[in-house]
Amino acid sequence: MTTAASAGGLRQGRIEHPRRSLFRDRGWAVGLALIAPAFLLMVVLIFAPAVLSLAGTFFPAGAAGASLANYEHFFGDALSVLNLVFTVWTTLATLLVLLVVGLVVAVYLRFSQSRLVAAIQVLSLFPLFVPGIVISFALIRFLGPTGLVPSILKAIGITGYQTPYLHASGAVIGLVWENIPLTVMLLTAGLSQVSNRAIEAARDVGANAAQIFIHIVLPPLTRSIAVVCCLNFLQIFGSFTVPYILGPAAPQMMSIFMQRTFTEVHLADAAETQAAITFLVCLIAGVVYSAIVFRDSAAKGTLAA
Amino acid sequence: MRRALGKDAVIGAVLLAALLIFVLAPLLTVIVWAFADQWRPPALWPTQWGVRYWHILLARADVVQSLTISLFISLVVTIVAALICLPAAYAFARLDFPGRRLFLLSFIAVNAFPRFALYVSIAIVFLSVGLIGTITGVVLIQLVFSLLFMIWIPTAAFRGVDRSIEEAARDVGASHLTVLVRITLPQVAPAIGAALLLTFMNAFYEVDGALLIGVPTVRTMPIVMLSLINGQIIVQYGAVLSVMLWVPSLVLLLLTRRMFDSRTFAAGLGV
Repeated sequence: MTTAASAGGLRQGRIEHPRRSLFRDRGWAVGLALIAPAFLLMVVLIFAPAVLSLAGTFFPAGAAGASLANYEHFFGDALSVLNLVFTVWTTLATLLVLLVVGLVVAVYLRFSQSRLVAAIQVLSLFPLFVPGIVISFALIRFLGPTGLVPSILKAIGITGYQTPYLHASGAVIGLVWENIPLTVMLLTAGLSQVSNRAIEAARDVGANAAQIFIHIVLPPLTRSIAVVCCLNFLQIFGSFTVPYILGPAAPQMMSIFMQRTFTEVHLADAAETQAAITFLVCLIAGVVYSAIVFRDSAAKGTLAA
Repeated sequence: MRRALGKDAVIGAVLLAALLIFVLAPLLTVIVWAFADQWRPPALWPTQWGVRYWHILLARADVVQSLTISLFISLVVTIVAALICLPAAYAFARLDFPGRRLFLLSFIAVNAFPRFALYVSIAIVFLSVGLIGTITGVVLIQLVFSLLFMIWIPTAAFRGVDRSIEEAARDVGASHLTVLVRITLPQVAPAIGAALLLTFMNAFYEVDGALLIGVPTVRTMPIVMLSLINGQIIVQYGAVLSVMLWVPSLVLLLLTRRMFDSRTFAAGLGV
């Protein structure tokens, strides 16, 4: 360790400071000691409960050994399955809207020469600073049955307004609101890698806007889109407050289902199974997201230093 | 070229208008509600303005108590997160040890789980060790999601410190501690301030964990607001609490907005 470190120092042509190299010799022990509390906290609060939950579902109370009884019970219950399917659909619908909105805003921010860019950027990041509970309440006052939008529509003579409040669309609208900043930020970062020269070259040989978008703009953006999809999928699937306030009472998102099962019905085992199934559905998104971040950091060396 | 610019401006105006309506109008509606003593939809405007509901709410014991509890819990979460995470961030940025990169990357696990399902798993563990309904339990669950950005943002900051100034100070005889306090910390202070602020606000506004772990004994401010939204027909209660909850953070963020460059956010999101 010592020789490797000093060899590294020499190779870079740096003269090792005597005191610093002394500190370096003990460095790895000090380093591990300094990160230990944070790492242990993460293991105890994240990995251990998740693994325990997953494992616990295969060993139901009262059963002699491992069994799938908990899962048979969940998938045998029409309401549980309905909630799961509803959560998947709500998540995918929200994700689709977010992608479209995010791409439109990010592409405009990247390519526009208008002076409105700054204002659009601020507005699209603004939801970062608004807690979920506040925006949920605000959307009730805005879009709910006695909200401002139906009042305005009534005043100008439009009838037949259907409120999204307490419907699936209410949850989708709230979740889109909450996740716009993340989406726009990630897509803007991806678009910054698109070169102006490539676009001009394509335009010179007669490519139209759609061709430029598909062949020049999209390819460097695939990584960002993958991260956007994974992160948003996890965020939306694991969200509680917004769908709890704005979404329907039945069917429910899995988070609300779990909360009711745990807090109101006091069935910890059933809640554990619901959580385990949620983990499994989100597994792909979590793994892909982690893999992209790992690979990028290895390639760029940003975190590796 | 001129036509293209015109189209550019038109699209921008449409986008800006859409965002103004979708993002800002709902919040402005709530602010108006908070200062309406009487407003009967479908009237488009309050018929009586005033701060009557502010007085009523601030006289309610549950509101005042929950505000105290929320401030206390958020403060404890922030202090504990700083004590645990800042030394780790320093180590990740400045010290050499085996597995450093893997350890640092492992903290993105925080983002790779569906949040509420993770909370339920934690709650089941807490149930067996008697942490349900305790302040300790709420503090612990709120620590979970402060870990990532309390480590990654300061790590990036420590890494950005100009090492030559430190070496120069050491060459003229400054001790390690002096260099840390006088040279290193002032340079990373803005980023650490931003991370502390984010931690405090996330804890203060957090609903999911507090509802699952704290209820019914520990009721934070957002939990009281949740019950006032669901159970009460008086709109102003929710509106006044929204403004009370949200405006301080907005002011704080505007005051410190220079801390929040885009890299700060990116680091917090783990990308």
